[in-house]
Amino acid sequence: MKNIKLHAIILALIIVSELIGTHPLKFGIGRIVLLPMLYALLLGILTTPKFLNLSGRKEMLDASSLVGVTLMLLMARYGTLVGPTLPKILAASPALILQEFGNLGTVLLGVPVAVYLGLKRETIGAAHSIAREPNVALIGEKFGLDSSEGRGVMGVYIAGTVFGTIFFGLMASVAASVLPIHPYALAMASGVGSASMMTAAVGSLVAMYPDMADQLAAFGAASNMLSGLDGLYMSVWLGLPMTEWLYKRFYKIKYGVLPEADKKGEEA
Amino acid sequence: MKIKDTIIILAIVTFMSLFSNVLGTKADIIQSIPGLLILAVIAFVGMLLSKYIPGGIPAAAWVVTLGCILTIPGVPGSDIINGYVKNVGFVALCTPILAYAGVSIGKDLDAFAKTGWRIVILAIVVFVGTYIASAIIAQCILKALGQI
Repeated sequence: MKNIKLHAIILALIIVSELIGTHPLKFGIGRIVLLPMLYALLLGILTTPKFLNLSGRKEMLDASSLVGVTLMLLMARYGTLVGPTLPKILAASPALILQEFGNLGTVLLGVPVAVYLGLKRETIGAAHSIAREPNVALIGEKFGLDSSEGRGVMGVYIAGTVFGTIFFGLMASVAASVLPIHPYALAMASGVGSASMMTAAVGSLVAMYPDMADQLAAFGAASNMLSGLDGLYMSVWLGLPMTEWLYKRFYKIKYGVLPEADKKGEEA
Repeated sequence: MKIKDTIIILAIVTFMSLFSNVLGTKADIIQSIPGLLILAVIAFVGMLLSKYIPGGIPAAAWVVTLGCILTIPGVPGSDIINGYVKNVGFVALCTPILAYAGVSIGKDLDAFAKTGWRIVILAIVVFVGTYIASAIIAQCILKALGQI
C-alpha cells in the first residue's frame, strides 16, 4: 500500500484515460461506448512486464490487494444512487418485483454452458449474475479479483460494458419479433443490467411499439432501479449459493468427479 | 486487513478518484471533495460493520445498504448528502478501479488468454438467460393479474 511507484503509475493512467474521454462509436444497428475506464484497464495491462514493464511483480501484487477496497467507494456511490429512487421502487407492481427473480435464469442457463465450455471456477464469477458493479465487488471481496472467480466476473463485466448496450438493443428487437411475450413484459426485463443496457433495449421496443412509448420507458426505468436495489442481495443469498451447487452437479456430470475445492484459484 | 491500512487505502483511492472526477465530470475540485469524503466515510463504516457484525454479510452489501438508507428522501440529512454525492460521477469512479485492476491482471494474462473467448460466449448466454427469464416471469404475472 505504500508502493509510491504503483500509485504514480495509476495516477498517470487515470489522467491519460480521462483526457482521452468518452467516445460513442455509431454502428448501423446501435452504438458502442468507449469509456475512460476501458482505456485505464488496457493501459494498466500495458504497463506490466509482458509489455512496457513499468509495473513489476510487486506492483501487480499490490494492485490486486487494493482493488477490493477501491470497489467499496464505488459501492457507496451505488447505494446513494438507489436511495433517492426507493419511494418509486416501493410503489412498483408485483410483476415488476417478481421478474427480478429472472436474475436466477442466468444461473440456470449459464452454469451448464460454462461447464460445457470447459470453464472451471471462472463459472462461479461469470454465471452467478449479470455481472454489474455490485456483483464484481461481491466476487472481489469473497475470492479476490485475481482469482479464477474474479477473472470470470471481470470478463463478463467488461464484455457487458463494451458490447452490452448494442447487445441489449438487438436482443430486445429479436425477442419482440419472435417470442410470444407482451412488450410490457419485455420492457420490465430490459432493466436487468446497467442503465445504458436498459435504455438501448427500451429504445428498440419503443421503435417497434411507438404508441406504448411512455409505459415501456416507465417499466424499463423502474425495473432498472429495482435491479439496483436487489441485485446484490439476490447474488449473496440466492445467485452465488445456487451457482456453487449447480456447478458441482454439472462438473460431476462432465468430469465424473467432484471439483477439488483445494485447487481453488489455481485452475485456469 | 487492519483498520489503519483500510483507512490509508481508502484515502489513496479517494485521492485518485478526485482526479478522475474532476477530469471526467463537470464538477471542479471544490465541488468534488465533500461528496468523495462522504462516500469514503460510508465505505469505511460499511467495511467496519461487515467486520464486527456477525452473520458474514459482505462489506459490499453493508456499504450499498448504508448509502441507500442515508439518501432515502425524508431521512434526516439525505438532501444534504444527495446534493454533495451528486457531484461524483459513477463512471468516473470506475476509472481508478479499472486502472488498478489492469495492473493486477498483468500477472494473470495467460489465464485470461486461455479462458477469454469462452467467457465472452458465456457473457452472451448470461445476458440472454437473464433477459428471457425476467421477461417470462413478467409475462406470467401480468397475465395472471389481467394487465395484458
